[in-house]
Amino acid sequence: MIEYLFLLLGIILMISGSLGVLRFPDVYTRLHASTKCDTGGAMSILIALAMVSEAPMLIKVKFLILAFLIAMINPMVAHAIARGAHKSGIKPEGVIDVYARDGF
Amino acid sequence: MSRIPHYLKERIEEINKRALLYNYEVHTLPKWEKVIITWIALIIFWMIVSASIEWQNILVGTIVTFLVSLLMYDMFTNDIRRKGNVIVKALRITFLYIPQYIFIMAFRLLESNLKVLKHAILMDINPGIIKIDSDLHSHTGLTILANSITLTPGTLTIDTVRQLDESKLYVHWIDIETLDRTKAGQIIKGGLEEWLKNIFW
Repeated sequence: MIEYLFLLLGIILMISGSLGVLRFPDVYTRLHASTKCDTGGAMSILIALAMVSEAPMLIKVKFLILAFLIAMINPMVAHAIARGAHKSGIKPEGVIDVYARDGF
Repeated sequence: MSRIPHYLKERIEEINKRALLYNYEVHTLPKWEKVIITWIALIIFWMIVSASIEWQNILVGTIVTFLVSLLMYDMFTNDIRRKGNVIVKALRITFLYIPQYIFIMAFRLLESNLKVLKHAILMDINPGIIKIDSDLHSHTGLTILANSITLTPGTLTIDTVRQLDESKLYVHWIDIETLDRTKAGQIIKGGLEEWLKNIFW
């Protein structure tokens, strides 16, 4: 029962992430939506798959390794995209930009 | 101090920086502890990835990971703070700190996902890039802090600047509450930096 709740939670988080990507105004705020909701949604779907599948224990742990790798790699990818966008001259919308003021 | 000539002042600053660097380098672990920590982590990874518990597999894994850990012992153990006995420290990291971190981050990640859903529906955003300070100075500690800040609600790390005496993080905040550096640091970092200071310098 609880594995289907995890699956449903993952699907809801993925849908909210894609809604955020569609509605937010610029690159940086869209990265917020894609990074967090992809990480949370993929991790909860992987946990649900590890509970559902009828494999031995050591193979179920591999799903958790995948979830760990997603949680490690996704923020780094977001950092690389945001820094590259700022270096190539895309101005963020908003009230203050200390990063441009400090001369980067 | 105001009468010191310019060239002497530069020299004194350089010596201070070198003394700071020397202090940090003294506080790394001895070599055999680094090798053993790397070896244990690689054996656990080998056991999970190969997924069999025959004795030939375990023997091959032990030998190969020992050779690898002799070569690469200071890749991710170089930044661990030297404090206390190594066995007590390893037990404390495995059974206290890592479950604590997973528990904190799971709930922060769920909260940040729901917050993105709320912002996407209501569109009440007020974005901007601000700068906060950090007391961590090691590469690994700063990396984990920046990644955790990206996963906590409403913030995204854009760049880190690491110097010897101070390190700064540039954070894109989707709903700015304050522009003051220390207050923003307290709100954004929360308890994560105190947690990381237990392990990394």
